Amino acid sequence: MDQFITTYGFLIILMMLQAVLALSLYLPLMAGQLSLATPGFFAIGGYVGAVLATNKFMPAPGTTYPEPLQSFVVWLASIFPLTATGDAYPLGLVLVEMVLAGILCGLVAIVIGLPALRLRGIYLALATIAFVEILRVLSLNLPITGGAIGIFGVPQPFPDDATKFSYIVIALPFLLLCTWFVYRLERSRVGRAFIALREDELAATAMGINPTYNKVLAFTMGAIMAGMCGALTAHVLNTWNARQGTFDASILILAYVIIGGSRTFLGPVMGGLLLTALPEVLRQAAGIDGLPQWLSLFLSDGRLVIYGFLIAFGVLLFPQGLITPDLFERKQKAATPAPVPATSGGQP
Amino acid sequence: MNETILEVQAMTRRFGGLVAVNNVSFAVQRDEIFGLIGPNGAGKTTLFNLITALTIPTSGTLLFKQQDITRLKPHQVAARGIARTFQNIRLFGNLSALQNVMVAQHVHTSSGVLPGVFGLPQARREEKHVREQALNLLEMVNLADRAHVKARNFPYGDQRRLEIARALALQPEVLLLDEPGAGMNPNEKAGLSSYIREVKEKFKLTVVLIEHNVPMVMGLCDRIAVLNFGQLIALGNPAEVQRDRAVIEAYLGDEA
Amino acid sequence: MELTTLFQQLINGVSIGSVYAIFTLGYTLIFSILGIINFAHGAVFTLGAYFTYALIGSRFGFNGIFANAQLPFGLPFPLALLGGGILAGLVGILIERVTFRPLRQRGADPLLTLVSSLGMAVALVNLIQYFVGAEAYSYPSSVLAGLPPSINFGTQEAPLIVRTVQIVIAIISMIILVLLTLFINRTKTGRALRAVSEDATTSSLLGINTDRLILLTFFLSGLVGGIAGTLVGLSVTITGPYFGIAFGLKGLAVIVLGGLGNIPGAVVGGIVIGIAENLLPASAVAYKDAIAFLILFIVLLVRPQGLLGRALIQKV
Repeated sequence: MDQFITTYGFLIILMMLQAVLALSLYLPLMAGQLSLATPGFFAIGGYVGAVLATNKFMPAPGTTYPEPLQSFVVWLASIFPLTATGDAYPLGLVLVEMVLAGILCGLVAIVIGLPALRLRGIYLALATIAFVEILRVLSLNLPITGGAIGIFGVPQPFPDDATKFSYIVIALPFLLLCTWFVYRLERSRVGRAFIALREDELAATAMGINPTYNKVLAFTMGAIMAGMCGALTAHVLNTWNARQGTFDASILILAYVIIGGSRTFLGPVMGGLLLTALPEVLRQAAGIDGLPQWLSLFLSDGRLVIYGFLIAFGVLLFPQGLITPDLFERKQKAATPAPVPATSGGQP
Repeated sequence: MNETILEVQAMTRRFGGLVAVNNVSFAVQRDEIFGLIGPNGAGKTTLFNLITALTIPTSGTLLFKQQDITRLKPHQVAARGIARTFQNIRLFGNLSALQNVMVAQHVHTSSGVLPGVFGLPQARREEKHVREQALNLLEMVNLADRAHVKARNFPYGDQRRLEIARALALQPEVLLLDEPGAGMNPNEKAGLSSYIREVKEKFKLTVVLIEHNVPMVMGLCDRIAVLNFGQLIALGNPAEVQRDRAVIEAYLGDEA
Repeated sequence: MELTTLFQQLINGVSIGSVYAIFTLGYTLIFSILGIINFAHGAVFTLGAYFTYALIGSRFGFNGIFANAQLPFGLPFPLALLGGGILAGLVGILIERVTFRPLRQRGADPLLTLVSSLGMAVALVNLIQYFVGAEAYSYPSSVLAGLPPSINFGTQEAPLIVRTVQIVIAIISMIILVLLTLFINRTKTGRALRAVSEDATTSSLLGINTDRLILLTFFLSGLVGGIAGTLVGLSVTITGPYFGIAFGLKGLAVIVLGGLGNIPGAVVGGIVIGIAENLLPASAVAYKDAIAFLILFIVLLVRPQGLLGRALIQKV
């Protein structure tokens, strides 16, 4: 068991975090919107966590900010103490960071979403791509984000655990909470409105559903989820930089949803878990004796090639992804007796 | 006592060079069954789209219960009490029949995200109520036994009935039916007129109806408006409209 | 700002702008006929650069399956340029056959096709990495043999340097643009293309072989993209297979600014963005890459049909 955790502990934590990111892309998708903005909010969230925990918001040594900013950052530093390596960073503060990250991302989402979500289809996708790229360039250049190098030495709540598996006490409940949230949402009034918008936005509005309000709501919820995940991940990875919020990350997360399942809450979760574990599985497969070298190399380094082809052909073969709502329905049908067929024709 | 419930004033809709609806005016009285007929492409569906705000008028005014609704958005018009069905059925295909009808009750309920997700009492009560209402409506159109079947798996005639049930779930005062008889077999069509009358009585509706089946329209409607090339060429009760010169010309060509 | 510095920046802007333009023409061709953005275009663009590099007989580096590979011959640059473009065009056709056509036959949502092309882009670019590694490559200077490296249009004190490469790029871009426009407007096939872009169903009812035309469009798009890739590689080094993805993203800004599906628009958009990027004050140079996306975001909000596109009307 210990051996397993030593080897795979970190991977398991990452799998859970990626599954949450998949859910955060799934939320706007439920309302019919292809938003590739998740990595942007993920990055913002991570920076919130990293900046607070490492006190990066403090002015350069020997300088001060003008009041009242200076008093504010001093107060902030008292809440988020600088922790020496080897000391445990309070777990509660990690949770506080997650909440703050969520709030900030929620606000940004509303500000960006209100104008942007009037766009449909590909225009919206393009706008979210633009958003992520702008954020990426900003984070590469602003001093508070550490520029191109990013932020190092994010304090650890579990400094003695090299495998990082202890993070499971937050990561697992977080994943379960997000999954349960989306599961409940799908079965509620608001969730139904989202799905109606996705099915046929025109008909949905004709039935009284406010498209802008609901789309912004879905988008914002996704952003909050991604932001919270970012703050946590910054601690898990011990470092944070612009590479967390790139277009490539959008593609990866999109793959989780497209392949895992884009029509039910379980799809993104499965997709996130499985596809994050996939490179490791491939690496193991690459180590099998007797494989030709080119194949072995392909399996170990060609992860993105495989993902790419999975997306490219996945939409063709499994338009709804692997886990579809029909799978649930089949179980439901098996449990209930078949209805008596109605007579057709006659009274309408 | 009859009052005007829906009024179209000098409504015009241009698409580039094409005038789809040209200065059309009429008033629909409460509780009447009002027919809208005309050759294909006359602008009837565009008029429906204008009334439900799915398209914006180039000029003109729309009044509902004497209030100006010209600038409202589609979901606001629906909330005021105008529901419709579509010429090319627009059900939520991947949702079940029950879910389709439940969705349309969105405006009459209010539980937000958190109450819904956490199953707070008000949300649960609303959900129960919405479900019951939906089942009742499905009962009415004989689809209750297939409540959990996906909408897109229903045969065409059933889909039409489902669309009507969904529109009724909006609890409208005015129901716009866009070619409800299209694609129905003769058996189904025969019952359609009495079905519409039944629904109107039961739900106290005003019905505005686009239909190509002229005998049905003549038998069912209290008054009829005739459109041709986007213009209103006749308005009156069935007898008047049948005798109207312009109408005869429009349908049969100039027989002089 | 000195006048000559301004001119210098303008020239740089127009130069990179013309490359953006021909790259985006590939997007535009496909959008105008299919109504979708082919994200794989960025990968085809990259392949063009790599194909040409191989065709001039250069050797690949130490990584990847084809480490140290080298073709036994070396073509003169103009031929290699064309050859690289043609090979890229063929890859374009392959992509069409394998992903776009099946999705089209199913009447799939354009967003699904977009996602599929995204997957293809990622897969192809990483495939390149698998084969030849992720190092930077540059074209040997012998490629522009005989031509001076740059020409000074100004004076000794106020130099106005135009690199020969930039002139070559500008000339080739103009040629491509003119040829494409002539093709679309003056030839029978070009008119058929326009017909299909207006209304595919009617066109096929009128006897136009839409499938064949779509293949042709993908080929042309790949050809143009591949040539653009080589030109960029010529102007700056190929920083690795991913440079196509970055270009692919910028191309989105260009196509939206110019107007989706509008050929002159791609040129206008490209030049505008190229100039905008280069006219930044020195303090903001680090944000150069964000300019295109800022423009993209604003255009989408304010005027989604771009500068030259037509306003879109949704049919109910």
